[in-house]
Amino acid sequence: MTSEPAAAPAEITPRRSARPVSRLAIDATDIARIAVFAAFIAVLGLPGGFAVFGSVPITAQTLGVMLAGAILGAWRGAIALVVFLALVALGLPLLAGGHGGAGVFVGPTAGYLVGWIAGAFVVGAIVHAGRRRLTWARTILGVLVGGILVIYAFGLPVQALVTRIPLPETALQSLVFVPGDLVKAVIAVVITMTLQRAYPRAFRTDRFVGAGGASAVQSTAGAASGTAPGVSSGTPER
Amino acid sequence: MLTLYRPGTGWMHRAPAGPKAFVLLVLVLAVSLLPSTYLAAGIAATVTVLGYLVTGLGLRELGRQIVSVRWVIVITLGAQLLFLQTEPAIANTSRVLAAILLAAMLVLTARVADLLDAFERGLQPFARFGVDPARVALVLAVAITTVPVLIRLASGVREAQKARGAGGGLRAFVIPFLVVSLKHADDLGEALTARGVA
Repeated sequence: MTSEPAAAPAEITPRRSARPVSRLAIDATDIARIAVFAAFIAVLGLPGGFAVFGSVPITAQTLGVMLAGAILGAWRGAIALVVFLALVALGLPLLAGGHGGAGVFVGPTAGYLVGWIAGAFVVGAIVHAGRRRLTWARTILGVLVGGILVIYAFGLPVQALVTRIPLPETALQSLVFVPGDLVKAVIAVVITMTLQRAYPRAFRTDRFVGAGGASAVQSTAGAASGTAPGVSSGTPER
Repeated sequence: MLTLYRPGTGWMHRAPAGPKAFVLLVLVLAVSLLPSTYLAAGIAATVTVLGYLVTGLGLRELGRQIVSVRWVIVITLGAQLLFLQTEPAIANTSRVLAAILLAAMLVLTARVADLLDAFERGLQPFARFGVDPARVALVLAVAITTVPVLIRLASGVREAQKARGAGGGLRAFVIPFLVVSLKHADDLGEALTARGVA
């Protein structure tokens, strides 16, 4: 996994930008941000972090899901979650409580894990809708819909299917976790809005190459506040 | 390095990662489809114990795995007993537990690097849909090596807060941790660019 596989896509990918279909542009900076965010979510689940309600495995990782969408945008946020879950599937004990391996994808919580991918996407899509400057209202809406509703929409049916408990009872049982989710949603919104002022270049959201011509729509937050020194460093111009 | 792998030399350890993953997934699927009866629970338990015995992982490893998923057992069984009869409750819980334990055999007997290689090979057929297996493998490898780096950054942030006497709230920790992580991502991006990743 040294420079050899890394060198191969370098000569292929930029050529493809001439294709007629609009295509998500993932450059080296994005690869780094996606990989780092996957690792960030992993660290949020490590022990010794936050003793939330004793030792019950309630996880700060859903906070990472919300932040992935809010900061990286819909596509890159979802990809970061795919990468994180791929690492889990490859056997790294990165889920809260030191869980990992393919086993978690056949357990009762499998649907929630898949829901994290969709959840991060929806958070990003709502928070960055129209590529405008972040607003409190849209961030709150995005985190609540994507970070909570979407995740449960995927998680509850799978949980009901795996445990063979009817869906209404499963939903009732899962109400226990909703207060914790609301707390995490509030924290995610505050962090996102703080980060917009404190570190605006954090927001480098989805750009597409190909048809449409919008080859490099830059960070909405950074462009609006004018404090970001471009997103120039480490961003080769296409 | 943090991993679930248990070193060993048995035939299960020597088997190639890709086919091993396929066979185990079929086995897990079969167990998952068992009905909710005591007989099925017995079959699931027998298959799991036999699996750990014939692969040389042993009952001690099985016990360790069961302890590591104790919360899944408690929560699943508790909810089942609340909403269902005793027989389906016990059968469902042991079926879920058996599936988790059987799937765990993969990461217990295959190194992350081998699984990553197998994964990259498994992605080859998707190349025609625009998936670039080498690039996917690169992202995964970079993420794996980044986890220990971020653990170090996180403890740095925590120590700095302790030194200043700052509180240990989640928000107070995550904002600075997020900023140093994103700065690390920028450095990493430049390093990748310098090595020819576009």
